[in-house]
Amino acid sequence: MRAPPGSAPKFLNLSQIRFPIGAIASIGHRISGVLLLVTLPLLALALDRSLRSEAEFEALRDLVSAPGRALLLVVVVWAASHHVLAGLRHLLMDMGIGSRLAQARTSAWAAIVAAGVIALAAAVRWLS
Amino acid sequence: MRLFLGQRAWMLQRATAVVLLIFLAAAAAMLLAGPRLSYERWHALATSPHGAVLIVVLFAALALHGWIGIRDIVLDYIHPPAGRLLLLGLIALVLIAIVIRVALTMAAHFTTAG
Repeated sequence: MRAPPGSAPKFLNLSQIRFPIGAIASIGHRISGVLLLVTLPLLALALDRSLRSEAEFEALRDLVSAPGRALLLVVVVWAASHHVLAGLRHLLMDMGIGSRLAQARTSAWAAIVAAGVIALAAAVRWLS
Repeated sequence: MRLFLGQRAWMLQRATAVVLLIFLAAAAAMLLAGPRLSYERWHALATSPHGAVLIVVLFAALALHGWIGIRDIVLDYIHPPAGRLLLLGLIALVLIAIVIRVALTMAAHFTTAG
């Protein structure tokens, strides 16, 4: 039964809210977006370094040689993959493609799984 | 915070998303299809007139897209006006600084390239 208006909870208990797959894709889109924004200054610095000299350029290549930094890069790869895939899903939905519930749930799963697979591939390549 | 609100923000977020997708596709094609990117090729590409301008456009699009996104998130989760002003002001400052820094980087290499 639907709760009468006015009795809506003011304080949301996160442990009692159900998170459908679309909500998880959506919150992942936000979290990955924040992560990518934090990476932006580093990207600007990397651009600067990459153009200074061949040695600096090659030094950027060796970034994954330390496990700690490789792990950070895997996180960035996940963030970029999830953000792009979930974002593409939003853009398609804006155009009315796949906005029906069943399709939207399928594409949410697809975005989450695909981003996970890409991050896993990066982890296998850089962390092994 | 009357900087890109409502439908204009929504449109800018989508427009910059499409621009960034095109950049990403082009970069992926270049890195995956071509030979291993050497310093010489990267330097020539990035410091060419078109390359330098495109890189500044790329970072401007990233900053703009990021601004609209983080603004939505801050307004959703932080409610005191002073907190919003402080945080959004700080973020805007950093984003503007990043774009200026990238423009200066490209300008420096651009003048020495010719």
